[in-house]
Amino acid sequence: MLPPTLLSAAVGLALVYAAPRQWARAASLLAVTAFTVAMTPLPQAWLEGSFIGCWVSVAATAAMVHFPRGMGCGTGLVLSLNAGLWCGAVVALTGSRMDLVMALPAVLVVLPGAWMLERRAAIVVKVVSSWVIAVAVLAAALQLLPVTPGYLPDHIE
Amino acid sequence: MTGWDHLLAMMSVGLWGAFLGRPLIYALPVTFPAMMVAGAIIGMLGVRVGSVEVGIALSVLVLGSCIALSLRAPVWAACVVVGTFAVFHGYAHGRELPSAADPIGYSVGFVLATGLLHVCGIGTGMVNDLRGGILVTRMLGAVVAILGVWFFYEAFPS
Repeated sequence: MLPPTLLSAAVGLALVYAAPRQWARAASLLAVTAFTVAMTPLPQAWLEGSFIGCWVSVAATAAMVHFPRGMGCGTGLVLSLNAGLWCGAVVALTGSRMDLVMALPAVLVVLPGAWMLERRAAIVVKVVSSWVIAVAVLAAALQLLPVTPGYLPDHIE
Repeated sequence: MTGWDHLLAMMSVGLWGAFLGRPLIYALPVTFPAMMVAGAIIGMLGVRVGSVEVGIALSVLVLGSCIALSLRAPVWAACVVVGTFAVFHGYAHGRELPSAADPIGYSVGFVLATGLLHVCGIGTGMVNDLRGGILVTRMLGAVVAILGVWFFYEAFPS
């Protein structure tokens, strides 16, 4: 549930810098792609790859916020298509379609983001996107680790 | 030390960023999580780094001093200072990452908690716009630096 939610939120953050008329198109493409892929039977062997792909996409999509020129129409659609593919794949392999219904509305973060941008508070969008990138990179790294070191004495002990 | 060292360092990052203004007001809170993740991955991989506690205590001391002395560092220097200390904080979190409990939930928690502490620091730094606000901010920095000295003293094994 978390990876598709964060990926949808990352698309929303990236769309903050796109023209408002693109929002509906990009969000629709995201939803249609995600539900189409979620209904497609995928081999279970793709499970790990789909999670990694999802986390990498989260980081890459959220990083678009830091490009000074914003996004063109094509870029927004490509990001949405990519996000839809990975969201759908993760849900097809591990969750139920209900997860998508709950995850995809995270794209609506574009609304408060655009509101912030209008009030010259783009800093908020950039800072939040850096958190999303950090979480995605950590989650991807966790997936590649055989075990976390939590059983070891921590730095306070 | 029960987390106060982390808390004060994170808030100081936001406070210093607010003190320095654009672009560091957002560059520092963006740099910190990026470098913290690098540190966390080093910690998760089990790489041994000596004196993490000293690094964390130094972060409190240095960041507090920068605010107290109203140090106007260049953008690159401020990012290097904050980024270096972020590695220590991330390393400590990475070493504590639970195996049995939800590690992704833990990761999300510590990134968001760190970010919100930066925001608290930036919010506190808004007093700079008030009359006498800069003096208040500098005094807060001095208090943080003094606590940093204490953490630094405590970090050395007796």
